[in-house]
Amino acid sequence: MKPISKNMLAAWLLCAASSAFAAPDAHSILKNSDQARGGGLQGIVWEIRLQSRDGAKMDEPQRIIVKAVDESSVAETQEPVRFKGSKLLQVERNMWLTKPGLSKPIPISPRQRMSGQASNGDIAATNYAGDYDAQMNATETLDSEPCYVLDLTAKHKRATYDKIRYWVSVKRGVGLKAEFYSVSGKLLKTARFEYDNAIEHDGRRIPFVSKMTIRDALIDAETTMEFGTVKVKKIAASEFDLGQMQ
Amino acid sequence: MARCWFFAALLLASTNVLADESGWRTSWDGTLYGYAGSMSPRGDSILNPGNRIARLVQRSDNLEARFNFKAESETMRVTARPIVALRDERNAFGGQTRHEAYLSQYQMRVRAADGWNVAVGREVMNWGAAQFRSPSSPFYFDNGRSDPMRELAGMDALKLTWTPDMRGSFNVARIVRSGYGAAQPDMWRDSWLAKLDLRGDEFAYGAVAVKAPNLPAFYGAHGQMALNDAWLLYGEAGSSARPTALQSPADAAQPFAVQTLSPRRTTVLVGATYTAEDGKSLSAEYLHESHGYRMAEISAYFARATASTLLAAQALGLSPRLLGRDYLHLVWQSNMMESDGYWRVMYTRNATDGSNELGAYGETTLTPQLSAFAMGAWNSGNARQELSSLFTRSVTLGLKVALP
Repeated sequence: MKPISKNMLAAWLLCAASSAFAAPDAHSILKNSDQARGGGLQGIVWEIRLQSRDGAKMDEPQRIIVKAVDESSVAETQEPVRFKGSKLLQVERNMWLTKPGLSKPIPISPRQRMSGQASNGDIAATNYAGDYDAQMNATETLDSEPCYVLDLTAKHKRATYDKIRYWVSVKRGVGLKAEFYSVSGKLLKTARFEYDNAIEHDGRRIPFVSKMTIRDALIDAETTMEFGTVKVKKIAASEFDLGQMQ
Repeated sequence: MARCWFFAALLLASTNVLADESGWRTSWDGTLYGYAGSMSPRGDSILNPGNRIARLVQRSDNLEARFNFKAESETMRVTARPIVALRDERNAFGGQTRHEAYLSQYQMRVRAADGWNVAVGREVMNWGAAQFRSPSSPFYFDNGRSDPMRELAGMDALKLTWTPDMRGSFNVARIVRSGYGAAQPDMWRDSWLAKLDLRGDEFAYGAVAVKAPNLPAFYGAHGQMALNDAWLLYGEAGSSARPTALQSPADAAQPFAVQTLSPRRTTVLVGATYTAEDGKSLSAEYLHESHGYRMAEISAYFARATASTLLAAQALGLSPRLLGRDYLHLVWQSNMMESDGYWRVMYTRNATDGSNELGAYGETTLTPQLSAFAMGAWNSGNARQELSSLFTRSVTLGLKVALP
């Protein structure tokens, strides 16, 4: 066998070293960024204030309390007061609406989303790493912050969107911007995220989403969601049982 | 009624006390209703000639308050839904004013261990996706359709639930008695219930068995499947024996016969809902009710009822829960998630005798706390057809105010 020359050895070492210090893979970036939006945690309870605008018309503000674990969530309306106590339960791809006094829970189609631009997927904990295949295409600077640009493709039907382009901060590891696309590649919505909250996770303090602004790409409409009183805690499975919603 | 007020006062007091203790969250809300209803009984009704038998309310004015109280900690939840109502009801024979105060639902639920909950109280035990009727529930087959403004009152029960994960749960319950306003004698007093529910990626289904002391066991099942974002398929079924059955032989010359326990029969409902991009949905349901009559039996039923007021009263009082065997029910409705209003249009056809009912409900938001609503039902057919046998139309108009 021909001995390895010094030059070849140097080149091989350089390659190995560059691999070892390369940017993390797309899936790891995504999984890490999910935590700052409730994904991969044992459970999360948060209060969301929604305000939607459709053209010049401002919708009524909404306040909901969301309990979420993985793909399951319960969103209980607090305001407007005439809907207080209404609950939207999602378990996997199944959704139900319950209200005090209703004869029984009503199954809801994913198409019957909340008013405004927010879908049920937006108010639940984000699990992009579980719902989407990620591919890193580029790095870009967004508002003076270097970002990985990930192209996400839905793995299964329960994913809220078919395709997402996602800007994740290199330094902070949180998603800063998302573009949501239809199967045909048409841009539907754009979202921007802010992270002024913080939570304890694995013994360290990590940034947590505080505001999400969703802008419709097709019409002049916008929804702002402000996330407050975030609690990370284990949530019993019975909280997501339709028979125990009373 | 005293017990109702005691419980409500206790809960209200406890919400203030508990709010001061760490770990307890308390809340309350309510809705005030004011509505007026008008019904036009059929002048030539066979089952209720001149409205002398059923004495249906032709005009009503109602004031009603419905409250929700809740106090919860990490391991316990206490809820109550008291309802207070003042009703002024009139028909051609006179009028009366009625007061009502009752607990429609209440419950104390304790997390006994990881995955195990114990609940005691009054709970509406109704399930499945069907809108027209609920054949998989032995307690609420009617699903509130016969009096849409009146809420279903729960069953008084002690319930043990095992919820190992989000994909399933198993319940065992002792039904102490039917809740407020139940018909007597109470056929569900001291009965047992066992129920299994499972959920998967795109489906949810459940099975239930209920054994009452004086009835053969009830068996029910329900399921739903989301084909995609637009289509939902669902079904419900129940197998039961009724405590009484009015036999209506097809030969009208033969008399009615009252059976104290009906043979076991099966009721099946299948349905599909299509949701459009804007969230409006169209549901179609077909129900087959084996406890009902065939066409010849319906004809004989009305023929016998014409003979005398006594037979008409017997026919009306002991009639099957649905007269016919086959029904089509269509519902077209707005997006239920919209916050500024809601409407629905319903069409029901008794495919056995050809009678029809058209119903509609609409609600619009006037201010963030004030809404106006209207509801109507119109029947087409003659006095010898089920859906048009008692009244021709009914209209309700009202306002509701959200509290606090």
